[in-house]
Amino acid sequence: MEINRLPKVLLIFLTLFLIQETLINQINFLVAGFSLYLAFFMAWVIQDQRNSAVVTGFIAGLILDLSPTLDAPFGLWTLVLTSMSYLLSSNVRAALDAELSPLVMLSVAVLASSFALALFLLFGAILGQEVGSASYLFRSISGNALWSALLSPLYIPLAMKLYKVTLTARQR
Amino acid sequence: MATRGSNRSRLLWVSLLVTSLFIITLDLRGVSLLSSLRSGTQSVLAPVERLATRVFSPVGDFFSEVGNLGRSSEKIDKLEEENQELKSQVIFNENTLAQLESLKGVLDLAGKARYKTVSARVISKGGTGTFSETIVLDIGSDSGVRRDMTVIAASGLVGVVKSTTASSSIVLLMNDPSFRIGVRVAGKQDMGILLGQGDKNYSLQMLSATSAISVGDVLLARGSSGDKPFVPGVPVGRVSYVENTVGQLTKEGRVNGFVDLNSLSVVSVVLSAVAGDPGDALVPQAPRPAPTVTVFVTPSPTPKE
Repeated sequence: MEINRLPKVLLIFLTLFLIQETLINQINFLVAGFSLYLAFFMAWVIQDQRNSAVVTGFIAGLILDLSPTLDAPFGLWTLVLTSMSYLLSSNVRAALDAELSPLVMLSVAVLASSFALALFLLFGAILGQEVGSASYLFRSISGNALWSALLSPLYIPLAMKLYKVTLTARQR
Repeated sequence: MATRGSNRSRLLWVSLLVTSLFIITLDLRGVSLLSSLRSGTQSVLAPVERLATRVFSPVGDFFSEVGNLGRSSEKIDKLEEENQELKSQVIFNENTLAQLESLKGVLDLAGKARYKTVSARVISKGGTGTFSETIVLDIGSDSGVRRDMTVIAASGLVGVVKSTTASSSIVLLMNDPSFRIGVRVAGKQDMGILLGQGDKNYSLQMLSATSAISVGDVLLARGSSGDKPFVPGVPVGRVSYVENTVGQLTKEGRVNGFVDLNSLSVVSVVLSAVAGDPGDALVPQAPRPAPTVTVFVTPSPTPKE
């Protein structure tokens, strides 16, 4: 990632974190809550080059770890999002067309955010965290997937637009 | 060339993974810098959350109430503007009234048990990415709130204070999967452990093989030593199902909580239980059936002609 992109990426994810913590978390969603932060992150990272995707994953994870209501050890989301960004940018991105269609973006955002939540639970369980009953976990993950799909017309264009804004003239 | 580039990004990935693992290790070993980062974030977020609650609580309802805006005539516009103002005022008043009602209920409960409490408004909730059921209150250590204090609502237990900053505190709700509380059956001395399940149902495990529970039994918090984290006597829930499996050592069951944790707006934090254990004083009264009017009809004798 080029150094001059870093402040813009940091600012975007910090703003998103603020929106998630202060507004989105206050809404009572049907089935289970929605993580705009995760869905936006996945839609962002799938567009990115491998190196900058990994750095973005690390930064986004560190920001998400700041969540005061989080009970997991600090650094767990950093680990998950760094791994997810590498997986998406190297393996998934390589299998897709150069031009990403909105449907592909939607599928990636939904599946990848569900997978990230599952990975977070798995790593948490390995570190001795309470994970709750299977029905609770299923409801939480499927509820998030449902809302990630339904609200995709709002955040996917935003992720695409903001991603382009952060690119340097040479990268464009 | 491509191999060199891919090796470089793999190296970057591995080094960032190692850094994450290093941060996790530091946190698990109790490095205070990392936990203070989270409480620092909470201090920064609390004023924004408070503002967002104030703005969005009435406005959210307002948008659901107003369905149709009128056409472009000047008079209609003016009337609509007035109408909107009045509607938002009404919604704001309804919102305030609901909060007052809730506050009255919780103060009644605290008054009956003679708990010393401090009331608080719910300003935020834990998100999906946390996998924990939490709420954020608009008061903190400046108001005397400390970690491990009991939080109650009008109908009973809400949870326990998990952490505090000067002006906000995070409460672990009783439906969190990691939540455990010792309970006793009202009117008896049978004890058990209630476990959060992530929804409005809770799992109950009795401690003694001779304990008897039945559907409809009310469960109260048993209390902890020094009243932390739980003060005794707070209503927790009602038994909705009892498992009768052969060979089971102790009885198990399911419980419906008294408090609807999805619609909390005002709660109270119990600072101390002045009068000790209130016993069964807080057991919710069963709803009184409406009196049935019975009309007796006595046939009058037919007049003889």
